[in-house]
Amino acid sequence: MSCGVPGMEDAGCLFLFGYNPNTSHPIVARRVVRAKEKGAKIIVADPRFIETARIADIYMPLKNGSNVAFLNSFAYSIIDQGLVDEEFVRDHTTGYEDFVKVVERYAPERTKDITGIDPAMMNEAARMYATAEPSSIICWGMGVCQQVQNVEAVHTCAAIACITHQIGKPNSGVAPVRGQNNVQGACDMGALPNFFPGYQSVTNPEVREKFAKAWNIPVDKLSDHVGYKVSDIGHLVEDGKVHAFVNMGEDPLQTEPDAANLKRQLEGLDLFVCLDIFMTQTCAEADVILPATSWGEHEGVFTACDRTFQYFSAAVPPKGECRHDWQIISDLSTRMGYPMHYENTKEIWDKECRELWPGAYGATYEKMAGLGHAQWPIPTLDHPGSPDLFLGGKFSTPDRRARLIAHDFVYPTEMPDEKYPLVLCSVREVGHYSCRSMTGNCEQLTDLADEPGYAHIAPADAKARGIEHDDLIWVYSRRGKIITRAFVDDRINEGAIYMTYQWWIGKTNDLMLHHVDSRSHTPEDKYCACQVERIDDQMWAEEHCQELYMALKERLFKKADRQYVDSDELGVPTELDEADVTPDPQPATA
Amino acid sequence: MEKHMVVCPYCGSGCKFNLLVENGLVVGSEPLNGLTNQGELCLKGYSGYDFINDTKILTPRLYHPMMRTSREKPLKRVSWDTALDFVAEKLLAIKEKYGPDSIYCTGSSRGTGNESNLVMQRFARACIGTNNVDNCART
Repeated sequence: MSCGVPGMEDAGCLFLFGYNPNTSHPIVARRVVRAKEKGAKIIVADPRFIETARIADIYMPLKNGSNVAFLNSFAYSIIDQGLVDEEFVRDHTTGYEDFVKVVERYAPERTKDITGIDPAMMNEAARMYATAEPSSIICWGMGVCQQVQNVEAVHTCAAIACITHQIGKPNSGVAPVRGQNNVQGACDMGALPNFFPGYQSVTNPEVREKFAKAWNIPVDKLSDHVGYKVSDIGHLVEDGKVHAFVNMGEDPLQTEPDAANLKRQLEGLDLFVCLDIFMTQTCAEADVILPATSWGEHEGVFTACDRTFQYFSAAVPPKGECRHDWQIISDLSTRMGYPMHYENTKEIWDKECRELWPGAYGATYEKMAGLGHAQWPIPTLDHPGSPDLFLGGKFSTPDRRARLIAHDFVYPTEMPDEKYPLVLCSVREVGHYSCRSMTGNCEQLTDLADEPGYAHIAPADAKARGIEHDDLIWVYSRRGKIITRAFVDDRINEGAIYMTYQWWIGKTNDLMLHHVDSRSHTPEDKYCACQVERIDDQMWAEEHCQELYMALKERLFKKADRQYVDSDELGVPTELDEADVTPDPQPATA
Repeated sequence: MEKHMVVCPYCGSGCKFNLLVENGLVVGSEPLNGLTNQGELCLKGYSGYDFINDTKILTPRLYHPMMRTSREKPLKRVSWDTALDFVAEKLLAIKEKYGPDSIYCTGSSRGTGNESNLVMQRFARACIGTNNVDNCART
């Protein structure tokens, strides 16, 4: 984010584009409400009439998969209405002429059938955004990122902020609000195939020299090329490129698209190691399971979505033989002939982050004690931290100018057709998080929402299929077929259904298409084609869901039970048993 | 009752609260006046802590290392030494045979913390010699 979360409430306009804060970040959503109370204008562009749409000054019901056409028209409207800040464009950007050459083909009148947006509304929204005082912020979430044209849409959002000078001043700019609690942190810390910690490029020889020196290795031991992206892991194993997978705290068999196919692909690994706190569906396939401490049992630093580092402490001691992730990896490295040893997380933070990333040097554990925090860039010990980036229009490019880029619109990869006439869009719900290994083991959150989950469907689409609210239904795509419950919802658009991805039975990712864009390799989880069908025998379906749920749970419990039996004792299974076989989620009776 | 300050492990808002601990169990949460949450929490902040206690509602916690030496054999509990020596030996053999880029590591964008990611990326880069390290930022 180019601004801080607290500053959102002081903007003059918040433009929520493919972002549903009430569900994904309720505590950020309250800043949107505060902004409204302080007089800000709210624009919501989303195919669903999301909660924030209720307080929006303009609600724009754009069609699924039309983002780049929409943004190009939005930019067209800004230019067409004379709302470009020409001085800012001249002094702080490059590429404006080429940008205009693309967007001038996207007059709102020409895109209205693609986007579903009335040209007058497009013009009004563009004016509201561009003229807001003192600043506007474009906020987005996975509605932008998990599309085939995700990087293209981000380029265009940033360009729109630049041509209107709604960036480069306090509480302005672009706010891609990160979903998981430490996704900003994992990226900051160099858990990326192209960057060392602090976004220092692995292809830069000087940077490699610095890290080789700090890590006591000859520089030629460091790889000089960008690594693979984890979203490609299945294909990489299938093609014989990757033979070993060391997986820390992630459950890709629940969270990645086309999960059934991914499971088959991962069977080709020579070695599959999982560090986790729970026996997840992914752990159940591992060759080696290493038990780690949970949040609550270890301390450290997280980075919030707006680049704020905050310290968290341990509340209870480690259980059983659990070790901290960093202890496990350090020990493994030492056994492989590269000794790594740290006394505690503070030593790791000081040596591996602060010493090697100049922009984080001022973020000491002392500064983060108690309710303290440190927002990067924070280069010196007495630096106050940086809620806002690019102040004064100074961008992080070599010439300090923003590069304006526009792209032509491309339709999503798998369009609806006669056999699969509906769009399937993967979304979030407020009470569960990610693969649900954590929230699914919380009593109150499970009481609130449990298997098989819901597919939200518009009343007309439900009626056409004889489906009533709460009916169990089949949802199927070219990848698979699952059971879920219908939520007949008058706040969503016709022609699309919306499902959350944490359920085992109503497993969205057995339906989703595994297609990634060419730049970021992000799956197109917001769009594939599907069909929905009522299940005639509701009684059978209810029983079947229960049985399947019990079988899936039982399998993981049986696998985990093996940790309590000493290898030398009798009674340890020597042959594979039912715990090693996954129950079939698509029974023949279907 | 003990109180321990944490940052929420769920979304990226960065809410601060205390975990309330009684007899070694986490029994509650209490919002703090953090930078973003200002004394408020959502339902996950208020109700999302008891998984730490191993409630066994959905899946059981892992307490001991386990491994299998081949796909035809079931998982068995082993010592840390056995598990880590096995992984070290296998990774070295795979690196020798197929090169460092044949090994993939993930960091984690969830509850493990920044320090675990720092150590994992150093392991991938300095010990194995690959930039094959990533996190689930895309999903």
